[in-house]
Amino acid sequence: MNYEFNWFYVKKALPQLMDGLMVTLQLTLWANIIGLVLGFIVAIGMLSKIRMIVWPLTAYIEFFRCTPALIQLVWFFFCVPILFNVWWSAEFMGMLALGLNLAAFNAEAYRAAIQAIPHAHTDASTALGLNVLQRIIYVILPQALILALPVLITNGIGIFQQSALVALISVQDLMYEGRYIATQTFRPIETLTTVALIYFAVSFPVSQAVTLVERRTKRLLAS
Amino acid sequence: MAFVEIDGLIKRYGTLSIFEGFDLNMGSTDRLVLIGPSGCGKSTLLRCMMGLEDIAGGTIRLGDDDYIDGAPNGKMKLNRQVQKEVGMVFQHYTLFPHLSVLGNLCLAPVRSRGIKKSEARDKALGLLERFGLADRANFYPSQLSGGQKQRVAIARALMLDPKLMLFDEVTSALDPELVVEVENTMMELAEAGMPMMIVTHDMHFARNIATQVVFQERGKVIEAAPPKDLFGNPQQDRTRDFLRNVLHIEG
Ligand SMILES: Nc1ncnc2c1ncn2[C@@H]1O[C@H](COP(=O)(O)OP(=O)(O)O)[C@@H](O)[C@H]1O
Ligand SMILES: [Mg+2]
Repeated sequence: MNYEFNWFYVKKALPQLMDGLMVTLQLTLWANIIGLVLGFIVAIGMLSKIRMIVWPLTAYIEFFRCTPALIQLVWFFFCVPILFNVWWSAEFMGMLALGLNLAAFNAEAYRAAIQAIPHAHTDASTALGLNVLQRIIYVILPQALILALPVLITNGIGIFQQSALVALISVQDLMYEGRYIATQTFRPIETLTTVALIYFAVSFPVSQAVTLVERRTKRLLAS
Repeated sequence: MAFVEIDGLIKRYGTLSIFEGFDLNMGSTDRLVLIGPSGCGKSTLLRCMMGLEDIAGGTIRLGDDDYIDGAPNGKMKLNRQVQKEVGMVFQHYTLFPHLSVLGNLCLAPVRSRGIKKSEARDKALGLLERFGLADRANFYPSQLSGGQKQRVAIARALMLDPKLMLFDEVTSALDPELVVEVENTMMELAEAGMPMMIVTHDMHFARNIATQVVFQERGKVIEAAPPKDLFGNPQQDRTRDFLRNVLHIEG
């Protein structure tokens, strides 16, 4: 291989890549807000044991877990407008699809965490005179949130990477800008490598933090 | 009239029958130690006393009040006011790991009894001081030894001023060298006049703390007597067999 690297164009295009990164980060942020809040509500619904609630929620979770994120995204972009006659922006559709995808995964994380809290805490709470609601709010949920935290962060950073898919529905995110510059400058190696490094630079510290968080939560909840 | 009156208690787990008409009385200055073979229903009895189990029949009275009125098919009546006068310490997972020692002690008084935070805090610090745990107030359960955890659990129950304390094998999961500190805490409580029902395998401790030892087997009280009589001169063959076995194992 005698390829001559030339970083000039990438350097010049860096501000444009940064604009793309901002779009990616915003998408990630909103998708995570949806994923954390909706995922929690879905998990509570799943634990309600009311069939009318559990059934549709199960369908929702399994649908999003068992289809590629790409098809979910494209489906939202092309089918939702026709089916429901709503014409939202590509950014909004992207955010919605990613958010719903993340919520499905987070719901499972919350549910598993809530169910992992030892039943003995229920007895201990009752012996202390706490009622059902007080027990859930002050004993079960705080522990479940702590327990779920590492998985929630992992899922959240996963959606940051998955968000690159929105470039395909022409949202001008980091991936989109990268591909655009690569074609414009005929410098795919330099440009796409830079884009990959930017994704890495954001993800890596977070994934390292997860290890740390996991160790601390494990230690705290060990009993 | 007895302080605790268990009358005709019926308790079943599905088709497994634990008690079919179990009677037991306890005076207000008594400390009952329940002994008996594993699986004979000692934990179940304490759990019934705490109101944690649905009982199919019989009544439990505490002090001057009707406490539990058993009935089949989940129709049991439980007086929640009386339930609040009973405290319990378990063998496992006793503390809430996400709360500090102080947080564990103050949770129920503040959230369920409506006691002011500052007031609960002062009371908690007082109790921790009394049990020699003052320097652990801001520790988390994961930072405590097993013995300290159990003593904190006792303090947490005392925050609610119980009239009766239940202890279910609170030292069974502890390393041997940590057992004594917990037993000493219970002895201190006994000397302060707290009525208790205790399940323990430590016969030496039972002899020291009990006013009355109850040997139960297959859902019945076989023999109940003050410790020096029950251990020194058991009247029933089954009591003798049981004691011979456990004392032999203890060596
Ligand atoms: N939740 C439960 N469901 C079904 N069976 C149970 C349950 N809890 C206890 N048992 C059974 O009831 C019997 C008495 O148990 P327990 O009160 O724990 O005995 P002990 O404390 O004297 O060892 C045992 O045979 C046990 O297997
Ligand atoms: Mg037991």
